[in-house]
Amino acid sequence: VSGLPRKPTRKTAKTRSRGGAGRPRLRRWLKTAALAVGSAGFVAGFAFAGYVVRLDRSVRERFDGERFRVPSRVYSAPSILYPGLDWKLVDLEGTLLRLGYRKVATTGELESGRYLWSPSRLRVQLRAFDHPSRPEPPHDVVFVLRGSQIEEIRELPAGRELGAVLLEPEPIGAYYGPDREQRELVWLEEVPRHLVDAILAVEDQRFESHHGIDPRRIAGAMLANLRAGRVAQGGSTLTQQLVKNFFLTPERTVRRKVQEGVMALLVEARYDKREILQAYLNEIYFGQRGATAVHGVGEASRLYFGKTAANLGVAESALLAAIIQSPNGKSPYRDPERAVERRNLVLELMHRQGRISEAALQRARQEPLRLAAVTPDSGDARYFLDLLQRQLASSYSSEVLETEGLRIYSTLDRRAQRIAADALREGIESLEKRYSRLRSEDPRRALQGCIVALRPQTGEVIALVGGRDYSVTQFDRCSQARRQTGSVFKPFVYIAALEPRPGGPIATLASFVDDSPLEVRTPSGPWRPVNFDHKFHGPVPLREALERSYNTATARLAQDVGIERVIDVAKRMGISSDLPAVPSLALGTAIVSPLEVARAYATLASGGVRPEVQAAEDLVNEEGEILQRRRLRFERVLDAGTAFLATSLLQGVADHGTAAGLRAGGLRGPIAAKTGTTTSEHDLWLVGYTPELVAVVWLGYDEPRSLGIPSSQGALPIWRRFVQDLTGGEIRGSFRPPPGVETADIDPRSGALASWGCPERRSEYFLAGTLPVLTCPAGGVAGTRREPAEREEVERGFLEWLRRQL
Amino acid sequence: VSGFPVGPLLVLASLAALSSGCALRLAPPPGARVASLRVSDALLEGDATRRASLRLVLQGLGEDENGRAPAARSSYERAIQLDPNNPYAYLALARHEVDAERWRRALEALDQAELLFASESAPGADAHIAGLRGAARFGTGYGDEAELLLDRATRIAPEVWADGRLSADELR
Repeated sequence: VSGLPRKPTRKTAKTRSRGGAGRPRLRRWLKTAALAVGSAGFVAGFAFAGYVVRLDRSVRERFDGERFRVPSRVYSAPSILYPGLDWKLVDLEGTLLRLGYRKVATTGELESGRYLWSPSRLRVQLRAFDHPSRPEPPHDVVFVLRGSQIEEIRELPAGRELGAVLLEPEPIGAYYGPDREQRELVWLEEVPRHLVDAILAVEDQRFESHHGIDPRRIAGAMLANLRAGRVAQGGSTLTQQLVKNFFLTPERTVRRKVQEGVMALLVEARYDKREILQAYLNEIYFGQRGATAVHGVGEASRLYFGKTAANLGVAESALLAAIIQSPNGKSPYRDPERAVERRNLVLELMHRQGRISEAALQRARQEPLRLAAVTPDSGDARYFLDLLQRQLASSYSSEVLETEGLRIYSTLDRRAQRIAADALREGIESLEKRYSRLRSEDPRRALQGCIVALRPQTGEVIALVGGRDYSVTQFDRCSQARRQTGSVFKPFVYIAALEPRPGGPIATLASFVDDSPLEVRTPSGPWRPVNFDHKFHGPVPLREALERSYNTATARLAQDVGIERVIDVAKRMGISSDLPAVPSLALGTAIVSPLEVARAYATLASGGVRPEVQAAEDLVNEEGEILQRRRLRFERVLDAGTAFLATSLLQGVADHGTAAGLRAGGLRGPIAAKTGTTTSEHDLWLVGYTPELVAVVWLGYDEPRSLGIPSSQGALPIWRRFVQDLTGGEIRGSFRPPPGVETADIDPRSGALASWGCPERRSEYFLAGTLPVLTCPAGGVAGTRREPAEREEVERGFLEWLRRQL
Repeated sequence: VSGFPVGPLLVLASLAALSSGCALRLAPPPGARVASLRVSDALLEGDATRRASLRLVLQGLGEDENGRAPAARSSYERAIQLDPNNPYAYLALARHEVDAERWRRALEALDQAELLFASESAPGADAHIAGLRGAARFGTGYGDEAELLLDRATRIAPEVWADGRLSADELR
């Protein structure tokens, strides 16, 4: 029994411990401790492994998946330069500067993107334009100038004469995600070696040899910081910086630093140096441009030098590398002298590290700082960008537009857009100055307006400003607002009356309409339209009725034509909003958007062919494939002759009607226009077109209230200023009568055909076969359509007269 | 004025004008043979903008001739951007669409070209419009109408339309 181990009792144990059996106890304690430490180590190791696995998963997800969200970029339509063009009017030099071209003073071989002035000559080294279907090679061209005109364009060195030259489209904005990051992706192969060298020289000179962490650099940084007594130098490698930007917050804690180190090691273990370098070049932050964060060397090259990264020189590369450390604090725009100093330091480093030769160093040091002009933010085009996005929404979600880096070539004419924005802003400000009651303290309740301009034949939107200030309200009053049209709707009534129909049109341009009191029965009671001047004018020529915008005459004509027919005309011409079949529709009680009105009037300007409103030309993906190509559509919806007659009527409105003020500024050339002022002056409109442009200006408050002024004082001056500045005051082209339109002299007092002896006459247009049947002096008043019996009687009379004469 | 024999004089004058017009044949009647229309012939007409637009049309025709259809179409669109009332641009675009067998688009562009040519002096345009319309109508299945149109084109400009097609080079 004595040999069996006895179950230790509490007492026994105590006795033993007191009894001095220390060694086994110590061993046991050590065992327990080792076990605890081992277990803890195991758990910690396991947890750390889990932590590393988790980090590794994050690294792989980011690197193997979509590394960058690249906003799709939108470009304007290209500017076309040609002999005969007024280069001052189109602001040629301003356009070159906005495109990042730089003026040089020396002759000889010009670098791409440079221009040189000499007496009567402008030489430009035009950059190549990369587009899958319409690439443009680089051109060395010289513009021979005479006064404000381009006399000829020659391509150097051969001196070949060019008929037209296209400038590359201007970037006008991009679709950013919530982070508002802008970047242009670059491939390592297309980045010049000296740019990589400059960055490595400053940021990580042992990048090629370390494994994600550089102990020497860390030690050096610690030493430098200790000496300085503050954090003066960072010890992060390029890989660590990339990891920090990709995954981590900028906080400076030990935990984050450890995480950064582990992830940097993981990145280096999984991916090769080239991939890491490429990711870094595309990720690195280069400062703010307005509300947008600029990332990557591709975008930075555009921003600072107006060129692609591939075209950067040594000095430019050194400057970019110098900016990385503190992009906003060390912006070369803020302090150019210090920027040059820092650039030269980078060049010294590059030379010391054997990355550039002594000669290259000296050359680069001598280069002056040449930065691209600071281009304004796309602010004034942002309403257009929204319209474009809405047009593309059926095929491309906002997620796609914000991440897939598409290149969207738009129809926007950058110059027209700028002029429209200025005209609207200054026009409204001037009104507020003149009529203080129009002012509002709250910018959200301020007087608003919009302007949209289309190329009528193609429906291309060349300018659109949807409000006074996009940053205050993004609601686009041109395409999203629906407002009463007032008198700008009236032409649809006249067109419906002039259109051919079996038995002849309801009216011709020689017809008279009755502007006397009218009462129309409606389900909601009798409707009695009145004129703006509260007078009735009796029988008035059709032209005068529209030129003076008489309500009663128009309402009566609409009754003759039939409201359904008026609706049909308006719909055919491009009004897509609902139009209620009520008598007051004729006077513009329907609510439609200014863009619809622009499209409908564009149909007139293009001779009865309705255009599709288009904001995009084509879309190209990152791989350079065309995803979508617009098509020009020409759909005839109105007889060309009728369209011309309507244009002729509206020319009268612009020349001596309610829109005659358009000529006040000296605008010359063909203009057709219509003013519109709604009840209580809630909405002021001016719709006008030339043979090549249709533009709509609308003014009003978002919550309708009276402006107390007619459109001739509100919207008209803005339209006039826009077209004046765009064309230089000389409008090109003419409205020509199409086949099937005849001219004849009529007696303006009666509308009858004027023959010899008629005391007054003026020339008038008619659709073939619709000449007045009565003559002056023998004829009477030519009213609306003649009854067949009446027509026969007149014909009989004419034949009788002819027989007598013969 | 009342004693003056206005009526008989008017009638006589009209008859005289009519007979002299018939005798002199001042304008070619529709369908008469005329020189084939070429864009390069119009290069000296119009203002600077029209000339530049025509140059772009010519560039497009050159691209079409060399099989670079997308670039050609782009040139025509640029020509229209510059001068949206240039009938030659729409005609060249219509020819391009006929080549690509996009019949409806060709017909739409032809409508535009025809409308714009109507107010310009371009006697040879008729043949090309008729011929291209014929080709497009043939493509859309209207064989009889197409034949009539192509016959008309051949009658007016046999040197171009004898083979029933208009090449980019022939329009250049």
